[in-house]
Formats: sequence, structure tokens, C-alpha cells
Amino acid sequence: MDTVTGASSLVRALEDAGCEVIFGIPGGTILPAYDPLLDSVNIRHVLVRHEQGAGHAASGYAQATGRVGVCVATSGPGATNLVTPLADAYMDSVPIVAITGQVNRSMIGTDAFQEADIRSISLPITKHAFQVTEPEDIPAVIAEAFALAAGGRPGPVLVDIPKDVLAATTTYTPAPPVPTPRVTPAANEIRRAAGLIASSRRPVFYVGGGVVRAGAAAELRALAERTGIPVVTTLMARGAFPDSHRQHLGMPGMHGTVPAVAALQQSDLLIALGTRFDDRVTGVLKLFAPNAAVIHADIDPAEISKNRKADVPIIGDCRDVLVSLNAAVRQAPVLTSWWAYLDGLRDRFPLGYDWPDDGTLSPQHVIERIGTLVGPEAIYTAGVGQHQMWAAQFIGYERPGSFINSGGLGTMGFAVPAAMGAQCGVPDRAVWAIDGDGCFQMTNQELVTCALEGIPIKVAVINNGNLGMVRQWQNLFYRGRYSNTGLSTHDRVPDFVALAEALGCVGLRCAEKSEVDDVIMRAMEVRDRPVVIDFVVGEDAQVWPMVAAGTGNDEIMTVRGIKPLFDEDL
Amino acid sequence: MTRHVLSMVLRNVPGALARVVVLFSSRGVDVESLSLDPTERGDVSRMDVVVGLPAGRSPDQLVKQLSRLVDVKSVVAVADSARNQIGA
Repeated sequence: MDTVTGASSLVRALEDAGCEVIFGIPGGTILPAYDPLLDSVNIRHVLVRHEQGAGHAASGYAQATGRVGVCVATSGPGATNLVTPLADAYMDSVPIVAITGQVNRSMIGTDAFQEADIRSISLPITKHAFQVTEPEDIPAVIAEAFALAAGGRPGPVLVDIPKDVLAATTTYTPAPPVPTPRVTPAANEIRRAAGLIASSRRPVFYVGGGVVRAGAAAELRALAERTGIPVVTTLMARGAFPDSHRQHLGMPGMHGTVPAVAALQQSDLLIALGTRFDDRVTGVLKLFAPNAAVIHADIDPAEISKNRKADVPIIGDCRDVLVSLNAAVRQAPVLTSWWAYLDGLRDRFPLGYDWPDDGTLSPQHVIERIGTLVGPEAIYTAGVGQHQMWAAQFIGYERPGSFINSGGLGTMGFAVPAAMGAQCGVPDRAVWAIDGDGCFQMTNQELVTCALEGIPIKVAVINNGNLGMVRQWQNLFYRGRYSNTGLSTHDRVPDFVALAEALGCVGLRCAEKSEVDDVIMRAMEVRDRPVVIDFVVGEDAQVWPMVAAGTGNDEIMTVRGIKPLFDEDL
Repeated sequence: MTRHVLSMVLRNVPGALARVVVLFSSRGVDVESLSLDPTERGDVSRMDVVVGLPAGRSPDQLVKQLSRLVDVKSVVAVADSARNQIGA
């Protein structure tokens, strides 16, 4: 028990919790914490340029490493700038701890300078929020915050600390380990699930991000290979099952592959693992997989039967569930005709794209070449929109956690700060942000952070001069009336190469198919600075296949107006 | 709209009530009445809430969502028949 300040207690508690990197910006009320941070040998502080960047970086770090990510901001605007990353991490179940300064205890509730009630603001977007009112509570609160963030269904936790609590003299007593209860999957449900699997004729593994969070990829592969059952991986689960595996049908959902969508729709048994029947996967819910029984395994009981009633509910960590199922399933189902149907779809409706008629560069080609040349050992991040969907479709993922994106909240601007955080966690891997010209303009200030802190991420800006996904919807659903989607980035406002150089990065540009491979290879050779490549691509490329919002999955279109599952008797 | 009675035990900590009420608001739950009373144990309070849910929506989901809150020690949906008896 040592006599310390609250701030020193905070830093020691973070060290004891295993924190190795913090993304943050100092300010008035958090200032006391930054003094002992200067002396910490275990914790690296990365000085970001905007608090939103700190939050997404913590998320990228957490998703790349499986550890809790930490971000720090001051009170008031510093704290409110964390709202978007907190909401993002809540939707995608990412374990992060956000530490915010707060005005002195005696000033709380007086509309003091830089006062914001961040604990109340964050109520619907955090697993829990603490406000520390006594300095001696700091070690226990930090330990509990880390345990809450990582335990059960992971998520963001906020710790708000008034300035005078940080400045006060207190004692440091290491917090005892926080017990994290682990639910054992119910044996009777596992037996029922095994029975349904053995007798099914058209089963499919519907795999979500919970499998990635649980570290259950190996167990999934074992069960898939023993049973021969096809696998689809959602946007949050890309990489949970190797894309190169014969049993993998790709991503389901609004921009999923025809075989993956059809496998769910025609299924007689959905084995849903760590997934939440999100509207982007199900389409119109009452038309989703109409003849399927549902086994639904999730660590969060509140997700089971939320959108689709589960016939066999299994509450538990996906790894525990898969270990139990591997032991319980003794008989593989007979799937000859099921695979004949699915293989037929695979042959007839492979993922593909057409080159633009106007001779411009194809965005899908650029992303495909990045995936091929950089390879599956890298980590890829994405923003939100067309480039995100193409990154999900045209890069081959072989490892869980190799694709980090904003799935639930759909946060534009996620890619660059998430890549920064991921690179800090795994410095030996290449980290590529696949970004759009719209997204890139929201958070590119963090490239300054990357340049100064020696975080050599690569950013591929898929520059189609527009808010591409919105433009696609305007094309399809608003008679081509392009209201406020043009960004003038093809007129070089801003000039991304010049901007990259100004931010301390290497800036490259490519607008020709013949130069794509060369420019990617040149970027890969740069190791001392971040690289931004401005890929100038056509503005008319669209993301296909597509299930239009408000329609059922059977109406999946391979291109505009062509609905193979709906029009043909397959 | 169907009425349901939820009986909960909350930790006596700042923000616990707010978190429960915000959950009702975020999940589109109508609150008809709400009472919060101290218990003999000083560290928890008892909360009884009558909520309205759209027809066909069971209170199970809401109970599970409330159970996720750190400050909610327990929550049960009291059966309608039991409530009628209490009311009678």
C-alpha cells in the first residue's frame, strides 16, 4: 500500500490491467493523469489528433489483438467526441475502456467550463459507465471496467474521473482479480442440436462475429469438416472460416453471394453461431429462411429469439458451444443433393464485376489486387460504403480478425484510425486501410499521428469522386437524381497525393489498370512512413449482388433487375 | 398494447435508475407506472414497473435486456394473473 495521487493510482491500475498502449489527447480535467503517464515504462501513449480517432484506434487495437483497447479524453468536448466510437464498439461488441476527465466533484452539475454529463450521454451505448467519486476506488473500478469490457459479450465501458479525484492523495492497493463467470452450454440443448444436425438435409453454419470474439475458428473448422456442412460468414465474421475452404459459400446478406444467400433461404437447419439475425443479413424477416429450424448459440441471452425464434437456444461462449457440439455430433448428415444444388449456384453465380464502359479503373479490380499482392497475413480495415462491401467480397480472408470494419453502426471514417490502432497492436503485420474518398475526408487527420509515431499503415483511397453507396441508391431508387453525392475529388479538391505529403505520408496516385500492381508494390516497400494511394476509379461501378432494402432475400439481384432465385425454379 | 409488471432489484448506486429508464426509452417500451423503494439491505432498492408492450411482443426479451445491466441484480416479469390477484 503506497501513498500516491489518484492519477498515479490510475496509471498503475492500467498497468496492472495489462494495458500497453493508450490512444488519447490531454486537456484541462484529465491533465493530472498525463503527468505520471510520462514516467510509465509499460504504457505507450499515442497522441491522436481527434478523440474520435482515439476511440476507433482502441477498437482497431482490440480487434487485432483480442485485448482490451484503451482511449483517454478530457471532459466536455473531449468526452463527447468519444460518443461515436463508443456507439460503434457497442454495436460490434468490441472490448474498449474509455477514460474521461471530469470537472471537480464540487463543480459537477453547475454547467462548469468543459462540463458534459458523459456518463448519462453514454448510457445507451456502453455496457456500463463508472464515475469515480473517491480516489481510493480507482484500482477496483479500473479492474472491474476491464473485466466488464472483455467478459461475456464484449463491449465498451466508460470510466469518468473528476479532476480533484485524480489530484487527491490516496493509497494504491492492487485490486483483487475480478471473477468473470462463464456459462456452460446446457447439455440437453447440445444433445438436441446434435440430433437436429444429424437428421438435417439442408443445414448451414450461419457464422457471426461472436465466433471471432470467442477465438473459436479452429473449433468451427473441426465441426464443419466433420459434418461437411456449408458455411457462410457475415460481415463481422469474415476470416472466421477460410475463404479458400471448399465448404465456404461466402458472405450472406444485402451484398452477399448468391450461394450464401440461397443456402440460408433454402435451408432446413440454420446453425447460427455468435450472430444476431441483423436486418442486413435477413432482409425482410418474415421471408427469411422460411423452412429452417434454428439452432442459435450466443453468449448474450438477450440476442436469442430477438428477431427469429430459436428452436434450440444455446447460451454460451461460441468456443465452448463448438467444443460441446464437436463431442456430441456423432453422425454426419447426408448432404449430396444439397451440395449439388449449392455447387450449381456457385458455378452459375460466382462473384464478379464488369469493367466500366468508359475506360476508367475498376474499383473491384484494385481491391482484388491489393488482397492478392498483400496476402492473407495482413490486416485489412475498411470504412463504410461501396469500398467496404468490395473489401468484404474481393479480398480472400483466411484468418479471424484479419478484416476489421464498422458493421453494426456503419461509421464512415472508421478505416484510418482503426488501422492505426491495429498496427500498434500487431507491429509485425502489414495493415491496409481500404477507404473511400468520403470516409477518408472524415478522419485522415490521424495520418499525422501515424507519421509522427512511426505507425506505417497503408491507405488505399478508392476514389470514385462520390459518396458511392448513397449514389448507388440514388441511381437505383431515386431515378438517378444525384443529390449532394458528388465530392469533387476527381477534380483534385482535395488533391489526396498532396494532402498525404502534407500529413507526413508518402502520396501515390494510380488511374490506370496497367499501373495498379506497381503502385501496390511500391507502397509495400515503404516501411518508415504511412502511404496513401489515390486510386482514381470510375464513378458508376455498383455493388452486386444486392438485396434491396424492404425486400426478401429471395429477390437477390445479381445485377439490376435480374433475380435468379426469384425468377427461376432452381 | 399489453401490460406487464416487472419486479426488479437494483444496486443503490448513482445512475442505476437512469440506465433502466434509458433502456425502456431506447427499446420503445411504454412506462405506465414506476415505483422505487428502499429495502432492509441498504445496498439495493426494489423497483416495480408496469410497462406497456405492443401486442404480440413478449416481456421475455425485455427481461433479458434488463438482466444485462450491471446495476440490475434481478428482474422478473410477474405473470398477469398474479397481478390481477394483487389488484383484486
